[in-house]
Amino acid sequence: MDDWNLKPAADLGLPVSERLRSERREPGLVESAGHLFRWGLMRAFLRFYHRIEVSGRDNIPKHPPFVMVSNHTSHLDALVLASALSGNLQDRVFPIAAGDAFFETPALAAFATFLLNALPMWRQRGRAHSLEVLRERLTADACAYILFPEGTRSREGRISSFKAGLGLLIAGTGVPVVPCYLDGTFQALPPGSQFPRPTKIQLRIGTALSFSRVKNQRDGWNEIAATTEIAVRKLGEFRVARDGMKW
Amino acid sequence: MTTRERLFDWREAFDHPVTLWITSGLVLVLAVAPVLIWILGVTGAIKTEHRRDLVQRTHSWLFLAPLMIGPVLLGAAWAIIAVGVLSLFCYREYARVTGLFREKAISLVVVLGILLVTFAVFDHWYALFVALFPLTVAAISATAILADRPKGYIQRVALGILGFVLFGCALGHLGYFANDENYRPVLLWLLLTVEMNDVFAYVTGKSFGHRKLAPQTSPNKTLGGALGALILTTVLAASLGHFVFYETNLDRPAALLVLGVLISAAGQLGDLMLSSVKRDLGIKDISALIPGHGGLLDRFDSLILVAPAVFHYVGYFNGVGLNQPARFLVGD
Repeated sequence: MDDWNLKPAADLGLPVSERLRSERREPGLVESAGHLFRWGLMRAFLRFYHRIEVSGRDNIPKHPPFVMVSNHTSHLDALVLASALSGNLQDRVFPIAAGDAFFETPALAAFATFLLNALPMWRQRGRAHSLEVLRERLTADACAYILFPEGTRSREGRISSFKAGLGLLIAGTGVPVVPCYLDGTFQALPPGSQFPRPTKIQLRIGTALSFSRVKNQRDGWNEIAATTEIAVRKLGEFRVARDGMKW
Repeated sequence: MTTRERLFDWREAFDHPVTLWITSGLVLVLAVAPVLIWILGVTGAIKTEHRRDLVQRTHSWLFLAPLMIGPVLLGAAWAIIAVGVLSLFCYREYARVTGLFREKAISLVVVLGILLVTFAVFDHWYALFVALFPLTVAAISATAILADRPKGYIQRVALGILGFVLFGCALGHLGYFANDENYRPVLLWLLLTVEMNDVFAYVTGKSFGHRKLAPQTSPNKTLGGALGALILTTVLAASLGHFVFYETNLDRPAALLVLGVLISAAGQLGDLMLSSVKRDLGIKDISALIPGHGGLLDRFDSLILVAPAVFHYVGYFNGVGLNQPARFLVGD
């Protein structure tokens, strides 16, 4: 008789504080119930408080893995993107957050884990290893990552250049990248403000990009960052064009 | 004794002498142990590394022992809830090592099954307690169909059923003892003998063990340790059991000796069962919850098989909770 295919939790044996900070953290039943509750609540909040409008939902791949990327101007961004995904993905949606900002202390890590279900990407210490684990996990567990390639929130609401980290995650894997443009989150909750204002939020989801033929090395990563940046900027220009017509 | 008194009245905690003996004996041991380890360390009788392990284990016991004994002393309600919580945490560890936790629907059914078992125990509703075994098995098999993913169906369902049977059904019998009027001495006597069985096996194994018991499953266990534990646990369980089951049908030397053998054998088999699970998965400890011990399962593995065996053995002679009102929550 052949052996069974038994696969223990990837974060087995880690103490709680380390488990919260691990890129390998896997949700259990309690966490799953938490996701269901949190994303449900978030969806209702966006719908009634921000009158959210999502276009291009059909562009989201039917099955993970994929990476959603977008411009980044507000703490609301990750929540908006995650809420746009359908319910059966909820256990596998992970916003990727800067480890040194969101996972530095156990209290912060608990916050990022329970409120955002975020996974850490360490920018300085252990960056290469951190990216390697995230890259491996993306396909192995069929995850949906939410990533902001600018690396930080834009302080005045404009898009700055995309960093190559996105490339390191997906170059040569064939995992599709879904470009998105978020409009209104900067007005609702810009960096530095505490409470969201009830402004309208729009999310535009573009056609998925594939980089399966791009080599997993520096020029490949740059190419991915540049191509994705153009796609996101195009989605942003669409707004200007339409508003122009309206006037 | 009214049901309310049985469930909640802590003032009767020490009415039975065995409860008093075991509790005070344990308090004494836990008070003396750190001093003893300190003396052994200072005089150089044990190595630093060995001492650190002993300190860590003792430290853990200082937390574990009150958590095990406290609910039993406080009242049957707390004892039943404590067993329910133990079952849930044991299942959680099991699900995480086997990977079953990724099957959310099956896991949910197992957890609901454990909660219902705890309710049946609390309500002294034996018919439901029994019925939940086939019903939950059926629910697990049915739920697993919903994913429409036949590849791996047998594995997922079997893992779910094993989890429920071990931590819901088998461990649930431990809680069911709390429906007996005499639950405090019975539970404390059972916990003491099962834990001492582990200690006896360890100590006699170190002293007389040569031949390996099951080298592939658990390389440190010896035949000497197993036999030593069998003899010592039987003597302890039978002699203390004489006072626990005083002047009942069980209070006969032969019956008590068989009971002792049953506890020791089932305890050691439970230990080996968990070792087999860990060997199969290729892991050393189930989790890192209890320093020096590992996970909850590493600590409570021996209880899992003992609970149903002793329950039905005692049930055969005396019955469990026969003079206590049943189904007081749902009514007759």
